[in-house]
Amino acid sequence: MEKLRILLVDDEPSFTRMLKLNLEKRGFTVMVENNGAYAYTVAQDFLPDFIFLDVIMPDVDGGEVAARMRRDPQFKDTPIVFLTAGVSKETTRVKGNIIGGQQYLAKPVTVDEVVATIEKQLKKKTSKATPASPRG
Amino acid sequence: MAFLTRTDSLNVELPAAETRSRLDAILNLSNDGILIVSFEGTILGWNRAAEEIYGYTAEEIVGKPLATLVPADRLHELSSIYRGVARGGVIHHFETVRIRRDEVPIDVSLSIMPIRDMRNRVTSALVITRDITSTQLALREAVESSEKLSDRERMLKRALVALRESHEKGKETQLQLVQAAKLESIGRLAAGVAHEVKNPLAVILFAVDYLAEAIPSPDENMTAALTDAREAVARADSVIRGLLDFSTATDLSPAEEDVNALLRRSLHLVGHSLTRSHVFAVEEMEEGLPYSMLDRNKLEQVFVNLMINAIDAMPDGGTLVVRTRRDRLTQVGTDVGVRMTDPFQVGQSVIVVEIEDTGTGIDETARPRLFDPFFTTKPPGKGTGLGLAVCKTIVALHGGTIRLGNKQGGGGARATVVLHGIRSKEGNGDGEAADIAR
Repeated sequence: MEKLRILLVDDEPSFTRMLKLNLEKRGFTVMVENNGAYAYTVAQDFLPDFIFLDVIMPDVDGGEVAARMRRDPQFKDTPIVFLTAGVSKETTRVKGNIIGGQQYLAKPVTVDEVVATIEKQLKKKTSKATPASPRG
Repeated sequence: MAFLTRTDSLNVELPAAETRSRLDAILNLSNDGILIVSFEGTILGWNRAAEEIYGYTAEEIVGKPLATLVPADRLHELSSIYRGVARGGVIHHFETVRIRRDEVPIDVSLSIMPIRDMRNRVTSALVITRDITSTQLALREAVESSEKLSDRERMLKRALVALRESHEKGKETQLQLVQAAKLESIGRLAAGVAHEVKNPLAVILFAVDYLAEAIPSPDENMTAALTDAREAVARADSVIRGLLDFSTATDLSPAEEDVNALLRRSLHLVGHSLTRSHVFAVEEMEEGLPYSMLDRNKLEQVFVNLMINAIDAMPDGGTLVVRTRRDRLTQVGTDVGVRMTDPFQVGQSVIVVEIEDTGTGIDETARPRLFDPFFTTKPPGKGTGLGLAVCKTIVALHGGTIRLGNKQGGGGARATVVLHGIRSKEGNGDGEAADIAR
C-alpha cells in the first residue's frame, strides 16, 4: 500500500526536520518546504494527501498559501491543518476559520496529536468522498 | 427765603420778629426737609431742603394735602402715624416711600414730633424728611453684591468639589492607563516571546518523542529523563499561554449573559478535574437573576480558574459550592460609594457569585499578593501564578470586583465575584446598564 504523503510548510527548519523524522518513523512520506512562497509549486509536484501549514511565515503566510491551494481544483479537498506558535488557541481558531482552515494545532504539540489529527481529517474526507481515499 | 407757614391755621402764638427770622434761618439751612402738617392732613410749612427733596416750591405745596406726597399704597400709613403724634408721640426714623413732583418714588426717613401751643395742646406735626434713596440704593447694591458674593462662593465651592472629583477621577484614569500600558507591553512581549519560544519547545517535544521511539530498550533513567523533558515543555508552554491570556484579557466582546448558565458551563468544563479529585459540586444558584453584560469566554475563563483553584485546594476530596444571588447595595462600603469612580453605586442591583471549597483555606500572609502576576501558592510546577491576575483583570474590565478570603469560621476559602446586573429580556433586573468601558 502506498504511504500517505504529507507536505510540511513551516519556516523553522529544525521544527520541520524533527516532525519529518517522527512522521517518517510512523510510516508517512514527508516533503518539507521552509518557504511559503514555494509551497504551492512544491505541492503541484508532490501531490500531498495532507498539508500542514505554519500560520506566521515571512513573505507568504499560511493563509495565503491555503487560499492559493483552494483555488486549484486538484487541492480543493486536500485537508489542510494550521500549525502556529504565535498566538493563543482562541485567536488561532478564529483566524483558521476565516482563512478556511479545517483545523489548527498550537505548538508545541506531540507526535501522537499530529498523527491523530491526520487520521481524523482523512477519515472525514474519506466519509465525504466515498468509495475510497485517493491514495490511502 | 422765608420758611413759609400758613400762620392763620397754625393757631400758635408766634415769636417776636427776630426770633422768627432766626428760626427761618435755621430751618432753611437744614439739609433735611422740614414740613409742618396739620392733623387734617394739610401741609402748613415747607423749607428749602423740602423743595429740593420733593421738587415743589413752598408756594406750590403749602396748603395742599399731605397725600400729594404719598404713594397710593402708602396712604394707610398716615392715619396711624399722625394719630400717635396727635397724642404727643414722637416717631424716629420711619423709613418709607414718598413721591416727588416728577412722580419718581423716593426713599425717605421721617422723624415726626408734635407742635404744641402755649397751652401745651398738640396743634400740628413737624415732619423732618431725609432723602435716603441713595443710601437705600447703596444698601440694595450692597445686599445684591453680598448675594452675588454668596453665589460666587457657592459656585467656587461647587467648582472645588468638581475639581476634587475630577482629580480623583484623573488619578483613577491615570492608574488605569498605567495598568493598560503595562498590559499592552506585556502583550507585545508575550506575543513575541510566544513565537520565539513555542517553536523551540515544539522541536524539543518532537525530539523527545523521536528519542522515546528510537531508543530500542530505554532504561529507567532514560524514561524518567524523557518524561521530565516532556513535562518541562508542557510547563513552559502553560506559562506562555498564561501570558498570552493575560495580555489578551483586554479584548472584550460583551453580550447579555445569564451568569447561572455560564457557571453551569464552567462546572461542566471542570467535570473531569472534579471526578479525578473526588470533589463533589453543589449548586446554590438563585433563579431569575438579572442578566449581565459579559464577554462569555472571558468570564468562563475566570470561573473555570476559580473552580480549578478550589479543586486544587482539596487534594483529598471535598465539596465545591457554586452560589449566586442578587443583592441590592443599600449603603456605602468596600467598593460601594456614591461617586462615579466607585466600582458600584449605592442603590444598584448586583449579581454576587461565590465559589467555595472545603480545603485548608488561604494563608493570611499570602492574601495581599494573591492577584500579583507570577505569585502562586501551588506546589512547584503546578501553577503559573497568572491565573488570578488574569481573573482580576477580566473582572475589573467588566466593572466588577473579585475578592478572595477564608470562610467565616474557617474550613475553606471563598472567591467572591460581584458583577453589574442589567434589565433582562424578561425584565427581572432593575434597569441599570453595565458600565463595561470603565
